[in-house]
Amino acid sequence: MAVGPRVLEATGLPGPGRLSRLREWWEQEHVFGYGLIVPALVLLATLVAFPFGMAIYFSLSDYWVGSPGGWVGLQNYRDILANETFRQTIQNSFVFTGIALSFKIVLGVWLAMLLARNLPLKRVIRGVVLLPFVIPTALSTLAWLWMFDSLYSVVNWTAIRLHLMSAPGPNWLGQSTYAMAAVIIVNVWRGLPFFAITVLAGLMAVPREYQEAAEVDGAGSWSRFWHVTLPLIKPVLAVVILFSTIFTFGDFNIVQVLTRGGPINTTHLFATLAYQVGLQGGNLGQGAAISLFIFPLLALVVFFQLRYIRKE
Amino acid sequence: MDQTALRSIPRRRFLRAAAGAGAGMASWLALRKAPAYAQKRELTFLSWNHFVPAADDELRKQAEAFGKANNCTVRVDTMAHLQMPAKIAAEAQSQSGHDMYRTASADPFLYENLLIPMDDLVEKLGKQGGGWYPFAAESCQTKSGWKAIPWFWVSFPGTYNMAHFKKAGFEQPPKTWDELLKMGKVLKKQGNPVGIAISHCSDAHSTYWSVSWSYGAKVLEADGKTPAISSEKTAQVIEWYKELYKDAMEPEVLSWDDAGNNRFLLSGKGSWIHNPVSPYNSALANKQPIADDINHHNSPAGPAGTHSAPPNLSLGIWKFSKNQQLAKEFIAYLFQKQNFDAWIVASNAFNHPPLKNLADHPIWARNPKFAMLPKEAEYGHPRGWPAKPNEAVQRIDDNYVMADMVAKAVNGMPTKRAMDWAQEQVALAVKGQLKVG
Repeated sequence: MAVGPRVLEATGLPGPGRLSRLREWWEQEHVFGYGLIVPALVLLATLVAFPFGMAIYFSLSDYWVGSPGGWVGLQNYRDILANETFRQTIQNSFVFTGIALSFKIVLGVWLAMLLARNLPLKRVIRGVVLLPFVIPTALSTLAWLWMFDSLYSVVNWTAIRLHLMSAPGPNWLGQSTYAMAAVIIVNVWRGLPFFAITVLAGLMAVPREYQEAAEVDGAGSWSRFWHVTLPLIKPVLAVVILFSTIFTFGDFNIVQVLTRGGPINTTHLFATLAYQVGLQGGNLGQGAAISLFIFPLLALVVFFQLRYIRKE
Repeated sequence: MDQTALRSIPRRRFLRAAAGAGAGMASWLALRKAPAYAQKRELTFLSWNHFVPAADDELRKQAEAFGKANNCTVRVDTMAHLQMPAKIAAEAQSQSGHDMYRTASADPFLYENLLIPMDDLVEKLGKQGGGWYPFAAESCQTKSGWKAIPWFWVSFPGTYNMAHFKKAGFEQPPKTWDELLKMGKVLKKQGNPVGIAISHCSDAHSTYWSVSWSYGAKVLEADGKTPAISSEKTAQVIEWYKELYKDAMEPEVLSWDDAGNNRFLLSGKGSWIHNPVSPYNSALANKQPIADDINHHNSPAGPAGTHSAPPNLSLGIWKFSKNQQLAKEFIAYLFQKQNFDAWIVASNAFNHPPLKNLADHPIWARNPKFAMLPKEAEYGHPRGWPAKPNEAVQRIDDNYVMADMVAKAVNGMPTKRAMDWAQEQVALAVKGQLKVG
């Protein structure tokens, strides 16, 4: 603890320097407590709040790279809504997020249940499952790019050899439906570990007694899952779904690496279109409007979901 | 606690003493370098990862030599070409970054207000070098003067596999786009389709401009702001694409990136692509036997003649640069004949000089597979032609409008609707341009 000036006075030592007075001030609870929060606040303000505020400002002005423009109100939003490519992007985003999220929920819970069992090499398996989540997305997606390549697709090669497809197999990144399927597959592959591991944590917290009691009452494995396990992991699941919804809507890497929004803009998401319009085309105002477009909706989702979680 | 207080006193005294010793000394301490080095200027240059990596090695070698001769250092940073627009936009926005960078196509128009005028250097180098090729020059001449210096252009010939053509009974490569279609039908049946990218990549633009001009079609009127897509000529181009796609190509062209057609030809499957000489160069570098079968021919012609949209790369210097004069001197150094020649050799004929005298390099004449390449300069136009290059043109390419129009049509959208869609997109790109101007 600090030695106050009175102690020094009493012991007859020389008076306190400026430094120790400062230290005393610093160690008061209300100063010290806020002092500890300040770095986090500064980080949030400079790296989150400021860019966010700038994005809102950009989206409401006629801002081009290197040449600021005047205030135009909601004109950018009206312009993008009038653009067919953007309307296509809205549709893509909902299809992409809806399908990818559904797969992640079902497969994630399923994978978590598997991992919760007492498997041999449990720790190794859990570690391996996390791999897709750990590898930088841009790199792992490059591997997928080769797997979906029109000439050298290992997916098609294998399926054709196994007589599951007729040669030459689907053109993964060149046809709209397949391209959407491809980006969804990679997104599910990448997002699944996050789902599984978080749900697993929720599962571990479910007391065994509930399961045993249900078993004694004669409940089958399905009804034990539906009536006991699922209600208990619901809060965890809700949080994971919330995060995943936001991440999936905001995905950029996978689409940028695999298709750059093609073919014919059928895999563009908000982030990739915003990049194309705002950074490549230089129209920062519209780019910002595109990336912010989904914000009000996501904010509503977050609001209701958090309220639901709190109630639970 | 007391110990820290005690320790801090001599430190404070020391600092006071150090401050007294003068600001020069302080900066010397901070830099931890000898004073002579601290004064050395550093010129920074952002370029792309060249498709022929040896060209970048040669560039760095010249940068080092220039640095030694001028008591400075020249740092050449390179990055993937598709990531450059975002990086450059970030530098423009933050007004900081490199001193100079490699601009592409109509970039100098996009950043007209942020680049310094180059007229003096353009005139000097132009006089020395026998004049600039017009298509290269036009992509740097903005309303407010030359905002970049044409650096090099890349010829975009037909690249084909002679063995496949021979097997199909064709002794000569196609002279016209129509002939390509006819030969392509036979070649596809033989199992060796032809390939033109119809996807979100820059090769898709280069070919579209080339084909559309050959049929007399336009994207913009000469005034640079009136969309000119909806026309009988464009409809013809789209119909040609549709037939080529259906009968002479495979759907994979819809998924290609810029390397897609290279892989297609080098795999031995493809018989013809529209591309610079990079597949041949890479086959040579990797000692692939297919190099013997690959040859080039001038870009095909159409009813309105031969036209080509060679990728055009230039050098711009940012206004915020503190080394503007040094950057100009460095550019002049790169254009010295022996340096430019060495660089052409390093790229194995990939880099074409924008100055007429420099184009007279033996590397093209010596290799019969390259001999026709310099002629491509006669067919070249900047994108947007007959309009002068402008930001709208750049934006049309950046948003892949032409590639998407063709992709829509080959996927079943009626030609007229695809054309109307593109017309609307071009109108939007022009609207943006007028706001800026």
